[in-house]
Amino acid sequence: MNDTTFNRARDLPTAHLLGAGTAMCAGCGGLGAVREVYDVLGEDTVFVNAAGCMTMLSVYPFTPFRGSWLYTAMASAPAGAQGVRDALDIRLAKGEISKDEDLQVVVLTGDGSAYGMGLSATSAAIDRGLDFIYLCYDNEGYGNTGQQTSAGSPHGARTATDPASSAVAGYKKDLFSIWAANKPTYVATVVASEPLDLARKIEEARALEGPRMIIALAPCPTGWGFEPSQSAEIGRLAVKTGIWPLKKWQNGKLVHTRVPHPRLPVEDYLKTQRRFAHLFEPRRDEVQLAEIQASVDDYWREIEEAKSSSRGD
Amino acid sequence: MYRIRFHGRGGQGMKTASRILGTALFRGGFQVQDAPRYGAERRGAPMFAFVRAAREPILERGIITNPDLVLVADDSLVGIPAAGVMAGLRTDTVLAIASDTDADTWRHRLHINNPVVILPGIDTDDDDTHIPDTSAQCAGAAAALIGKVSRVVLTEAVTEETSGFGALALEANLETALAAFDAIGLQTGSVVEGAAYDVASSVRPDWVDLSAEASAVAAPNIYAALTSVQVRTGLWRTLRPLLERDKCKRCHWVCGSYCPDGVIAVDDAGYPEIDYEHCKGCMICVAQCPAHALVAVAEEEYRTAKGDGA
Ligand SMILES: Cc1ncc(C[n+]2csc(CCOP(=O)(O)OP(=O)(O)O)c2C)c(N)n1
Ligand code: SF4
Ligand code: SF4
Ligand code: SF4
Repeated sequence: MNDTTFNRARDLPTAHLLGAGTAMCAGCGGLGAVREVYDVLGEDTVFVNAAGCMTMLSVYPFTPFRGSWLYTAMASAPAGAQGVRDALDIRLAKGEISKDEDLQVVVLTGDGSAYGMGLSATSAAIDRGLDFIYLCYDNEGYGNTGQQTSAGSPHGARTATDPASSAVAGYKKDLFSIWAANKPTYVATVVASEPLDLARKIEEARALEGPRMIIALAPCPTGWGFEPSQSAEIGRLAVKTGIWPLKKWQNGKLVHTRVPHPRLPVEDYLKTQRRFAHLFEPRRDEVQLAEIQASVDDYWREIEEAKSSSRGD
Repeated sequence: MYRIRFHGRGGQGMKTASRILGTALFRGGFQVQDAPRYGAERRGAPMFAFVRAAREPILERGIITNPDLVLVADDSLVGIPAAGVMAGLRTDTVLAIASDTDADTWRHRLHINNPVVILPGIDTDDDDTHIPDTSAQCAGAAAALIGKVSRVVLTEAVTEETSGFGALALEANLETALAAFDAIGLQTGSVVEGAAYDVASSVRPDWVDLSAEASAVAAPNIYAALTSVQVRTGLWRTLRPLLERDKCKRCHWVCGSYCPDGVIAVDDAGYPEIDYEHCKGCMICVAQCPAHALVAVAEEEYRTAKGDGA
């Protein structure tokens, strides 16, 4: 962490590895995260991509990648990564490829896969200590099929399957904690609109071995209902309101890499997106707004308390 | 059978327009198909949606190649061949365009004598960074041009299709749909219903007999890197980010890092260089530039001023 190449914003990569001309929506926060991650990981990367928006990256005969990319079923990306890793290891052992021809295996999935369908395969991959990076771009719904509710959808949002009248009744699954409880090598949250924080975490993950798990909040103009130009601002508001804590977990230790201070009210974030419009129109839903604010406040209070008790005061 | 195509950009509400019209015709006693057609592209990219409606069961499938009515929510699409706005137009197909340009000019430009209807009240304001949702307007106009559903039925259809977006949105949609319906005026019912598909004279398409190829040939493996650059996503753009060099602080890591598509490079002097072949026009760079050195210019105005189609 101390010897990062990314000390200041101007150290961020200026030449980009991911090719242009992809099919992602204008202003896609998920694409932004994938591009930034690829820039730090470098060319020697093979992507194993479960069905979702990002599988539209490589549509025959077009690919924005410089190396291999493999398409898997929604639940199976970590299993696909195991196969790729095994093949690389066998070829290394046989001397068919040299150590510097080895590749970093990266699973790329949406939240539908990561929080739901693919969670079992992921857990098994962590159990086996698979040497891979998992990048979940979390657009908080099944984006590719029209933003149906997933286990990553936030409480109170309107989705294609939860109309404004009822909205998502459940709560966003705490995938970070679930993954951390499984004791992989590294777990971190990122967002494209904090490129320096993202670059440092990916740099750290790249240097490690074993399962390295990344969740990138992915502001989604199409699914969340906002103008593409607002994508970066909304990502930043997610951090400033405390809704998307930037943190990392390693060797049992949890560190928040950005503690918003002062924390902006959650409605500064919510009111930027049409999926939350029913909380403000035709009249303010004070009960829901207070509930969402309270859940964020509770999160940060617990973090503060844990910090002071570990300090012994 | 009525065959209607709605052309727009992803985000302009063409899918919803087709659903509203489809539901209205269904409630009006028709059998209906409605479906959106996307390429692999998304928001901002040309797309279309279509509706078939008939009194008897519809046996046709797939996209509409012989429309009776073509609605265009974004007139910049007419000049993009890949958008397929003009595909399969008969001489009596009604072409309805949301545009500031008049019908005669469009007929002259396109070398056609078709009935051209300029859609009034469609928000074509492209000065801001907004892709307007024109679904209610397009559906209302289409319903009137076909002339087979009443205001009451249109109201029911708009309610059925858009009440999930909340009470305020529904109210606004109802108002715009009915205003667009009323604005068609004398041209109400001017769409000519196309003939049913003639099965007897149909020719078997040659792709039915595509033979299976060896998997080494048929498997979609891509062996070259970065082939995506051949896709010109710059065509999606309705707004163009332009650099005002004198204001630029040469902090290219700012605009360069926020561009999700990675199409901002740096020149030797430290100024950002935008790849307009691929820039999708999301305007994130414009919103994020701390020095306001990037400005949004309507693509159409830029091209007109440049006097070219590039
Ligand atoms: C087992 C299975 N069920 C359903 C689908 C259809 N499907 C394709 S993409 C997709 C959405 C995936 O959502 P998510 O993982 O969140 O990624 P996003 O689309 O948001 O990028 C679905 C449901 C599928 N491919 N496989
Ligand atoms: S739907 Fe959302 S996540 Fe999917 S490509 Fe569009 S903006 Fe990106
Ligand atoms: S962010 Fe603005 S000022 Fe900085 S280099 Fe880009 S255009 Fe110039
Ligand atoms: S508008 Fe700016 S940020 Fe968006 S694609 Fe174009 S160059 Fe990139």
